[in-house]
Amino acid sequence: MSTLAAESRWGKYRQLPFWRLVELFVERIFRGGGDSDTEGLDIGVGLVLTLLAMPGGFVSVLLFDKYGSLLQWLRGQFHVDTLLIALPDEYFFIVLSMTVTGMVAVWRWDAIFPDRRDYTNLAHLPVSSRTIFLANLVALLLLAGLVAIDVNGASCVLFPMVVSAAQGTLPFFIEFGLVHAVGVLLASVFAFFAVFAVLGLLMAVLPPRAFRRVSGYIRGLVVVYLVTLLCTSFAVPSSLSRTTGRAPLWSFFFPSSWFVSLCQLLRGRANPAMVELARLVLPAVVGVVAVAFGASAIGYRRHFVRIAEIADGSEVSQNPWGWRMGFLERLLLPTSFLRGCSRFVGKTLARSEQHRLALTGVGGLGLVLASQALMNAFQGATSLRQAALTPDALSIPFILTFLLIIGLRIVFEIPVEIRGNWVFQLLLDADRQECEPLARRVISVAVLCWVTPLTFIAYVYAEGVLIAALHTTLVLIWAMLLMNLLLIRFRKLPFTCSLPVFKQHSIVILISFCFGYLIYAVSTPEFESSALVNPVRMFSLVPVALVAWYVPRYLEKNTINWTGS
Amino acid sequence: MLEAVQLTKRYSSIPAVQDLSFTLRPGEVLGCLGPNGSGKSTTVKMLTGLLEPSRGLVRFDGRNIQANLAEYRTHLGYVPEEAHLYPYLTGWEYLDMIGTLRGMSRPLMESKINALLELFSLLPARHAAMGTYSKGMRQRILLIAALMHDPDIFIFDEPLSGLDVTSALIFKNLVQSLGRAGKLVFYCSHVLEVVEKVCTDVLILRQGVVIAHDSVANVGQILGQSLENTFLHLVDDVDTMRVAGDIVAVMKAA
Repeated sequence: MSTLAAESRWGKYRQLPFWRLVELFVERIFRGGGDSDTEGLDIGVGLVLTLLAMPGGFVSVLLFDKYGSLLQWLRGQFHVDTLLIALPDEYFFIVLSMTVTGMVAVWRWDAIFPDRRDYTNLAHLPVSSRTIFLANLVALLLLAGLVAIDVNGASCVLFPMVVSAAQGTLPFFIEFGLVHAVGVLLASVFAFFAVFAVLGLLMAVLPPRAFRRVSGYIRGLVVVYLVTLLCTSFAVPSSLSRTTGRAPLWSFFFPSSWFVSLCQLLRGRANPAMVELARLVLPAVVGVVAVAFGASAIGYRRHFVRIAEIADGSEVSQNPWGWRMGFLERLLLPTSFLRGCSRFVGKTLARSEQHRLALTGVGGLGLVLASQALMNAFQGATSLRQAALTPDALSIPFILTFLLIIGLRIVFEIPVEIRGNWVFQLLLDADRQECEPLARRVISVAVLCWVTPLTFIAYVYAEGVLIAALHTTLVLIWAMLLMNLLLIRFRKLPFTCSLPVFKQHSIVILISFCFGYLIYAVSTPEFESSALVNPVRMFSLVPVALVAWYVPRYLEKNTINWTGS
Repeated sequence: MLEAVQLTKRYSSIPAVQDLSFTLRPGEVLGCLGPNGSGKSTTVKMLTGLLEPSRGLVRFDGRNIQANLAEYRTHLGYVPEEAHLYPYLTGWEYLDMIGTLRGMSRPLMESKINALLELFSLLPARHAAMGTYSKGMRQRILLIAALMHDPDIFIFDEPLSGLDVTSALIFKNLVQSLGRAGKLVFYCSHVLEVVEKVCTDVLILRQGVVIAHDSVANVGQILGQSLENTFLHLVDDVDTMRVAGDIVAVMKAA
């Protein structure tokens, strides 16, 4: 009954131009942005909200194991300080909340502000530009609230339930839940408006053409920062709780530490450093919202109101060396199809913002994991030589190649201006099967061309030529085998096919990637670390490599081509 | 009556349109012709109030449109050059939104939308997302959006783009009917035959300057030739046959 009443009330509101604009902007932020007239990755508002809510819910459920009183008793943990052991988990939820919300803001970066499409459709109507701005602002506020509640809703209920499982009292559950909700919701709002403020400041400061040029790089940096933030969840809580005296300098650069400190302060368990950090929360949230609104008002005035005077599109600077190295090009790309299509693929990767962004996200994750591995390698090592042979150090090129190859393979599936793919449909010769060699060459040039030489040089310096050659060869072979596996029955030109539907086995693929990562970038370096002490043992990897080489070939020949191409 | 008085627009001191003046009276259909970069789009943007002129003004019924743009736009029906619509909205949703933003009453709006969708052969596709529409279908949606509130002024910027033969014929007759109904119509196009057929007057622009402004019949008689030949003579001193020959030669080059 109340739902019907609300619907009817909204029905009346949406007859008013202002609320109709708000509805339009909410829908546009969720479902479309940028200048393309074709539909993008439209997986529906409901599914987006479900996907955003999932991580918090899943992680909460997985924590039952840690907080269950019976399991604690079985582990011999009789006097557990629940709030103390909850600190790292609470920090993780705060970081997760900030990362997911920040990623949403980065993902919808192009749709946050009214764009040329809105201008074309709305500017000639009897609606003032101020009304359009305010409607967009209201839509953003609604969206920020919705995302904050959605991302944190499950964890706000489940995490306090899990934590209070051992305590079993309702007041503890309510108190813990309220404090947790304040922390994660504020963190979410802060992350959303921080990205919004960055966007607004860029628009307010830069001329439109420069903004378009810089925008992609800034988005990439924000993604890398958010991934870094996620990776701090292993180190920050313990460092913060151990801190005596004033808050360390680094903690000021990670807003997540301010919010976890606020939670600790509200529970009366904050040390002086946490008190200092918690005091930053309110001014920071108010400040970032104020900056976001102020800068967006200036940016709106400079960009949207003046769209009619701004030329569409931007010039692309020509690289005088790009594709001029004729000999090298002919060597790597022997047919004209490969040469033509690789230019298209290369330029799409370099210029398409969504492709760059996806790749930056994966690359950023690789960089963070590689940095962590490097730090771990030097912990406890007495020399460079010793550190270089630890599994952590050996895993670095494996981490980078795995994530970049997987990242590129995923990026190949993202279409670019699907209406333009008729050119390739006319050119593609189904009998010659040149798409797989093309993808292989692109991946090799983009990843192996720099990872393997750097690995070799670094290990020649640290361990000598033999170890360097063995390690580099293993990285190279593993990367080739991974490519073989990922390019089974690859029959399409990158970026030219519709997005694959959200298949039921997507979860299985995701789990396979995680499992593959463990074998590729964790187990292999561990074995290699022990084998390099006696290099002959490296040959025991040959059968493994042969199996890994044969299986994709077998699958390639003996599976039915369901694509029909 | 719509008047353009010495309209001038400069982009970074480079003039796009210079001293453009004309008067458009009820019942007149003024065609605007010119090659790419001649200032047609800038003129349209100034007439719709999207761009403020660097000098000069646009008057509607004797009042400067910039004084009250929102009020002026209630009288305006505009079809932009690009059908840059929201791909996730259906045709019906888009028109419903435009009607709401124009402050139309709901029953009137719904009846008009349905009737116009029917007349433009879009009723079966009204609940499909516009991302799936062809260029012609999008163009028809824009035409309906411009017509549905019965405006006094129509500004059409390349309205035939993508329309099929039947729709184009309907539209040409529609423009003439609008003129006869006492509406003001400003019609920008590259298609000379259409301008020749549907417009009462024509304005030819070259590098932002008016080089001819008269009735279609008079402009055509300047050289005693068709409008097409007159246009080519006035605007582009290009031997089109020679250029076509050169293109074929380049195409065949080994």
